Amino acid sequence: MTVPNLDDPNQAVFCIPFAGKTDEEEEDSHVPLPRSIHRERDLLDGEKLRIDAYMEAWSKCLDRVKSLIYALHAPIAADIVQEVSTSYDSVLSGLPYPELPVISVTNPTSASTFLDQVTAHTNSSELDNEELFDTTAFTTHLYPTDCVNLTSAMKAMIGGFVARSHILQEVKGRPATSLVNYDIEMLLAWYTAVRDTYDIKDACKPKLVVLLHDFEQLDPLVIQDVFSICSLYVSRLPLVFILALSSPASPSYLHTTYPRSTIALLRVRNYNVPSGAQLLEELVQKTFFDPEFEPDVVIGPSVLTFIKDYHDRHDSSLDAMIKILHLAHLKHFSAEPLTLLVNTTPSADILLERSAFPFIDALFTRLQASGERHDTSSNASGWSEQTLPTLIASVNNARGSFRARARRLRTGFGILKLVQKFMEQQGYKGLGWNLPGGAGILDVMNDVLLGKIGQDVKFLGTMVKKLRGAQLGALLEILHTYFNSLPSRIRSSEEEARTKLVFSINALPHETVDDTSGIASQVAASFGEWLVEYLNGVLAPLEDATLWDIWYTGLSPFPADLINPSVRASIVAGLLEPHKFAEASDEEDNERTSLALWELPDTSILFRRYLDSGKMINLYDWFESFQLELETQRKALKQRLVQRTSGSHSPTKRGRKGKAKAAEEADEEDDLDKWKLEVQARFMRAMQELDYLGFIKHTGRKADHVQRVVYDIHD
Amino acid sequence: MKDASDDCKIGYEEFSDEISTLVDAFPPPFIYINDATSPRLTAAAVAAVLKDIHDKEPGGLRRVHYAMVNAVACFTTRLLYDSTLNALTRWSANWADGCANWGLEDDTQRFNENFDGFIHGLRAISAYLCSQGKGKGKGKQKAQTDEEDVRLVIVIERAERLKETLPDILVPLTRLAELTQLDLSVIFISEVRWEDMRPSLGASPDPYFIDIPPPTKEIIVRRVTSEFPISDDPRPSPYHPSLAGLYSHFVTVLCDVCFPFIHDTQEIAYIAAARWPGFVQPVLDDYRRAIQTRRDEMDLDDEDDDPEPPFASPSEDVRMRLSRLFNTSLNMALEELYPRLTNASDWASRNKPEPDLFSKQPAHFARATEQSAKRVDDGTQALPRMSKFILVAAFLASTNPAKSDLRMFGRGLDEKKRKRRSRKTMKSGQAKVPQRLLGPLAFPLDRLLAILGALLEENDAETRLPAPEYTIPGEYTDVETSRVGIYSAIMELAAMRLLHRTSPGDRIDGPPSFKCGISYDVALALARQLAIPLNDLLWDPA
Repeated sequence: MTVPNLDDPNQAVFCIPFAGKTDEEEEDSHVPLPRSIHRERDLLDGEKLRIDAYMEAWSKCLDRVKSLIYALHAPIAADIVQEVSTSYDSVLSGLPYPELPVISVTNPTSASTFLDQVTAHTNSSELDNEELFDTTAFTTHLYPTDCVNLTSAMKAMIGGFVARSHILQEVKGRPATSLVNYDIEMLLAWYTAVRDTYDIKDACKPKLVVLLHDFEQLDPLVIQDVFSICSLYVSRLPLVFILALSSPASPSYLHTTYPRSTIALLRVRNYNVPSGAQLLEELVQKTFFDPEFEPDVVIGPSVLTFIKDYHDRHDSSLDAMIKILHLAHLKHFSAEPLTLLVNTTPSADILLERSAFPFIDALFTRLQASGERHDTSSNASGWSEQTLPTLIASVNNARGSFRARARRLRTGFGILKLVQKFMEQQGYKGLGWNLPGGAGILDVMNDVLLGKIGQDVKFLGTMVKKLRGAQLGALLEILHTYFNSLPSRIRSSEEEARTKLVFSINALPHETVDDTSGIASQVAASFGEWLVEYLNGVLAPLEDATLWDIWYTGLSPFPADLINPSVRASIVAGLLEPHKFAEASDEEDNERTSLALWELPDTSILFRRYLDSGKMINLYDWFESFQLELETQRKALKQRLVQRTSGSHSPTKRGRKGKAKAAEEADEEDDLDKWKLEVQARFMRAMQELDYLGFIKHTGRKADHVQRVVYDIHD
Repeated sequence: MKDASDDCKIGYEEFSDEISTLVDAFPPPFIYINDATSPRLTAAAVAAVLKDIHDKEPGGLRRVHYAMVNAVACFTTRLLYDSTLNALTRWSANWADGCANWGLEDDTQRFNENFDGFIHGLRAISAYLCSQGKGKGKGKQKAQTDEEDVRLVIVIERAERLKETLPDILVPLTRLAELTQLDLSVIFISEVRWEDMRPSLGASPDPYFIDIPPPTKEIIVRRVTSEFPISDDPRPSPYHPSLAGLYSHFVTVLCDVCFPFIHDTQEIAYIAAARWPGFVQPVLDDYRRAIQTRRDEMDLDDEDDDPEPPFASPSEDVRMRLSRLFNTSLNMALEELYPRLTNASDWASRNKPEPDLFSKQPAHFARATEQSAKRVDDGTQALPRMSKFILVAAFLASTNPAKSDLRMFGRGLDEKKRKRRSRKTMKSGQAKVPQRLLGPLAFPLDRLLAILGALLEENDAETRLPAPEYTIPGEYTDVETSRVGIYSAIMELAAMRLLHRTSPGDRIDGPPSFKCGISYDVALALARQLAIPLNDLLWDPA
């Protein structure tokens, strides 16, 4: 590499190539998880074990969420597919001209996944010839980048259909004397040929579906013309347009943007993809509070609160929710070394290694701490009596009991919900969850996790006690079916509750018999009492379990600033305390909380001085103060250097005296000049950086002054 | 049974005579047809006339070949050349030949390269059609036609688009006869006047003008009535032949309602198509019930195979009752269908009358109108809370003058005084059109964020998650407004075109500027959801 001659006066710009490692090189040493804060008690390959556990837990959770979303979207996707296939069937007779069928899909939350789901049904790219007879549609996609002008839009649209060589062999003619590839006549010729080749009857003409992605970003002038061209051919080409809109259904984007003359050519049908708070609630509930699904890591109330808040406030897309869950998982596994025990316990061989000692120590301390609660007679030397196999066994036990606890919690939540729903159906207010101002189901989940639900359970129990005989019978019947529908594993563990239910059902007098004896109210009273007791037992907080923090994120706060940081605060904090943001080096010398000003990078020094100034900053004063600080820095560094080198040998310069003195003076003068230049250059660079970050306003009102734009920094 | 082409000519009788005479006799090289109301129908009429002439045997008259092309579809010169030449020769491209254009078999000359090629193409076509005519003539042993016996007519619909898309060939197109030295006529059909698209400096010859007047009510009624889609099915249906009389009556009533607003036949036909099935539904129900009771009676009496009474035209009385029942719904149909708030088939199925309407009171139509009013709220509900705040802030920034911000949003000691004074000074000033009616003003991002901060501080502070680390008043809001989520929400709203970005996207110098893309109604609905007193914050509330 040649070093550019920076003194060359003929050059206005110098290019100094970046000499560090490229990104690919650095890839080798990438760290998959952030280092745990309790690094000292991590296993040697704990990071790897934890990332494996994380992968397993997260993919399980993600698969569940994805399948739920898929299931939620399925009905509307099926509707759209149906609409596509029947779009030319039930045309109102007597229309003055055939309309172009347009399906607008309003989908503010999960654009791409939903469209994939639709095209999975309408696209036929993977079909072979045999199946072509049954295809209902060919699909082509138009993206905003394709549609910069009419020619490219038409070309993309026609090319999308015609370029399917597996359907019809492409015939190369002379391009100059053939139809040009953006001529819709070409599509017509292709379609006629397809129909002739496969002998497709009129009744089951495959539709030509054009999917316009990000419809709002397509140039209305271009799309207007595309529509009017296509509408000229609509009687010969069964085109169907699907518009993927992300703006709200009203005010309708189509109606506010396109002229009436264009909309008059279309037959628009609007479909709304489900979205909003209800969807979120259902997803969370079915992922973390469904007895049929068992997540590896239970998400705690603080994350749930954040999900809800972020959904309502910033981004209601489902992707955002998945992102938050993902981050919560990542954080859970990166913070605590013990989380590698989520699904499996490492074998004794690994734990026997010397490096594993702190890990085992920590684990044992935890186990003992929880054991002490029950068994106060444990002695200090108990640890030595413990053998590794017993330790592993007790971890496995803890895992099992936590899982069972979580299962019971979910079952209990289900019962709570059922009883509440029943009360609402009977016309009572119950706990008033769904009323305006009432707690949303997410809040209820939070209460359940926090163990704050006792009051509500008691209230419900009181209501149950007051139920009439017939009502109680219905409720018991509902609960009975609920227990029977539970997975067998849970059912068997809830044998006692089921027995109680069956007993209560049998104890109820038959409906035809007049309830004069008061048996029904007795049954109701006893059942209500039992229900309260049962629910309170089942809905115990998960924190009481042994080693709970391995499987439960609990109250640990969600790192909101990772997902939605405040830009200004982050930049200012970065400038004020750059060392906190720098990657922690292996040396443990960063423990000092505050550094002297001269130890900071140039930009930070300049920024500190900036904060000290008034509204307008005199550049020269700024420079002076900066220079002063750099002088301190220079001296301090020199001193440090001297301190380091003094031990080995005396500085050479001091040895030479006398005859070299003149030369040295010249040298020093030279050095001083260089230093001045350096200071100036560093000042310029630091100032440019602040300028680039937007901290400086050039008003031009006062010579050599710039205006400050950030005030009131409280550090 | 009438000919379909006759239907196209209703109201165009004089015009079609004129065109057919011109084309038959000696057409001017350039004809300009201007129809401001329904150019589509005019084009159909011209096509019908030309088809009639074309289909006539080349007897003593000259054989006319014509091409109709649409200037919207022909957005490049090559498309225009290709489609004109292919249409003149009735050539349709075949996939198996690689979609080849029409061309002479032995010739490999390109006709679509430039205007010169096009002229050569036209000449080649003229010669080719001529020779074909000769061939035919020979085969049929008829008198030989002359070399110049072919007349070409090129009709260009929506010709006003040529001025934007192909301004270079507008002049040569108007002089095509001159350039090709053929018996050729170019017809432009457009809804704008020639004066508005005429090339400068008189480069084009003046056309032969034909102006189509807007149709009268009678003509519209006749046209719409003639399009009644009579079904061949003898079973009673809305399109049964015996209902044609009722249909024409229905169309007359519909025209009375719509004519003050619409003169376009197709629009009225559209509304008619949507309303008609519902309109005749009671008649059909009546008939069905009559048949049913008759059958029941017959079953009781004897098994005599009496033929069912034919489905007859309804009586005058029924007509009157139908009109009374449905007249209000016609206005509603006009209001919803003309701006295409919904489409005809959906409207028809939504506004289906309940069965056996004749036995009920005509009160059920009032419901549908009330439902539509609530829609604005529903759609915007899906937006996240911050996006709503941003939109309201954008609306305020676009409507209020920038100088008023401090007064409107400033929180000083004498805030109330300031606000009140601002209103009064405005009222005493000279009459000014409120900004809300003039359209949105552009504003820089910084101003949007500042207003957003003021709104959040006033109206959002209670709903936030608790954050004890922020102790100074306003600090939490400050952090909130500078979050990444806010910036990405702004970009997302701009992508949805609820905000319009007015500064180019690649400019990194200075803050980007935006315009508000929502209307006052939407802003009001959003403000209501957020409990913002929007009218108090508007500088110039109406």
